[in-house]
Amino acid sequence: MTDTEEHKPVTVRLEKICLVRRGREGALVQLLDDVSFSARSGEITAVIGPSGGGKSSLIRLINRLAEPSSGSVYLAERRILDFDPLQLRRRVALVPQKPFMFEGSVLDNLQRPFLYQQEPPPGPESEEVRHALAMARLDHGMVQRDARSLSIGEQQRVALARALITMPSVLLLDEPTSALDRRTADALGATLREICRSQELTVIMVTHDLRLAERVADYCLYLEAGRILEEGSVEELLARPKTSQLRRFLAEPSDQEE
Amino acid sequence: MENQGLVTLGLLDLTLAYGLVLLAIALARLRRIGQEGQMLWASVRMVFQLFAVGYLLHLLFAVKSPLPVLAILLVMGAFSLQVMGARIKRKMPRFYQVVGTSLFIGCGGVTFLFCTLVVHYTPWYDPRYLIPLAGMIIGNSMNGASLAAERLCSEMRERRDEIETALCLGASGRQASDPALRNAFRAALMPTVNTMAAMGIVSLPGMMTGQILSGTEPIIAVRYQIAIMCAITGAVAITAYLILMQGYRHYFSKAHQLEMD
Repeated sequence: MTDTEEHKPVTVRLEKICLVRRGREGALVQLLDDVSFSARSGEITAVIGPSGGGKSSLIRLINRLAEPSSGSVYLAERRILDFDPLQLRRRVALVPQKPFMFEGSVLDNLQRPFLYQQEPPPGPESEEVRHALAMARLDHGMVQRDARSLSIGEQQRVALARALITMPSVLLLDEPTSALDRRTADALGATLREICRSQELTVIMVTHDLRLAERVADYCLYLEAGRILEEGSVEELLARPKTSQLRRFLAEPSDQEE
Repeated sequence: MENQGLVTLGLLDLTLAYGLVLLAIALARLRRIGQEGQMLWASVRMVFQLFAVGYLLHLLFAVKSPLPVLAILLVMGAFSLQVMGARIKRKMPRFYQVVGTSLFIGCGGVTFLFCTLVVHYTPWYDPRYLIPLAGMIIGNSMNGASLAAERLCSEMRERRDEIETALCLGASGRQASDPALRNAFRAALMPTVNTMAAMGIVSLPGMMTGQILSGTEPIIAVRYQIAIMCAITGAVAITAYLILMQGYRHYFSKAHQLEMD
């Protein structure tokens, strides 16, 4: 399914990431344990695994919404700690699991990142807005609609367009299809693939939706209880799971299908 | 003391008045709102605190140097901080530091300006003026301050998704918490604004009533009331503003990360 070339440049690299949190009872909980991997531009890297396995915590470290307890994250071989955090987040966009729509129209939502940078926001007819909407497969006629009145699938796409409008080089997705029905999820998956190829984006997506991973991912990591247990091409992982954990995970019926 | 025309209250009169509190407690009990103990405790506290402060003021008014008066003001401030701290269950990070400094600057500054520029009296520390004026300013600012602190905390919690989404889009902590700050500031100012708007019609303010009861011309009492209301509004606004502007910072790390348990 993929035309994976081995020579695509690594844009994001995680090195020996550990994340320890103080849990509810005051005890220390290890959320991530010695996680290392690389993601290449023009490829979709999927991190799969059961919920509660540390997937969401992992992705938040890459745009520095949170800090690891130890280990480093590199963007284009530079430690992300050396970037200005606000600039970093423009280059490494994250679309959270629940798309949050700011009050106002779709346009208002797309203009947000510019307002935060105190840059003049692009107008409804601007190239930026058109391009962002087109990438997310949204109709331009939607631009003046109230963002909160849209369906969840449309909101997910607006969130995607909003993240892409500043032309990031890395796109992080947290369970992008968790709120979507299968058809909408498949359509979004196809969109992601296209954007990833056409924009040479590095996409890292965490999901427990195996179907999505199978359809769109180039490379796949299996994360359980904070550790990467297996990695490889999606076909390899799905066809020949080496660990009992992955085998069990693959055997479980996906809770995506309704 | 000059009390021509002043009707003094005897202990019996006070006991009768206290009967109304007991009635309130009885009603609370009847409706089982489970606050009777607190109500009783609060009313007992009120009686003792007021008597204590009455005697203290009596002694204080004889004081002819600024330091003891300022010390009393600080104690009042610290006490209001403690009352707020006890009442607010969910506190923002570094609650006491944030609210304490804000009260100190907001109320202290306004009281000082008010006493020196608006109500000219000498010496500036005359406890007869300074203590009750500062008391009214602190007392009212306390409400605004509690509202600001409480609201900031709940807004940050409720808007967690919104704030993190904004951060993801490159917003600074300040930008991301802007809607929360705006709502909290509005909430903090609302009671004062309402009081101002209703003043004279719905409520006859305590200070004015007190002055009139003790024989002051209503017009003079009104002028005082207007002036003090303006001072209170200013103090509430400044205190709440300082609380919010310091408070939100403690929710974010230097790298603009939202830090919440």
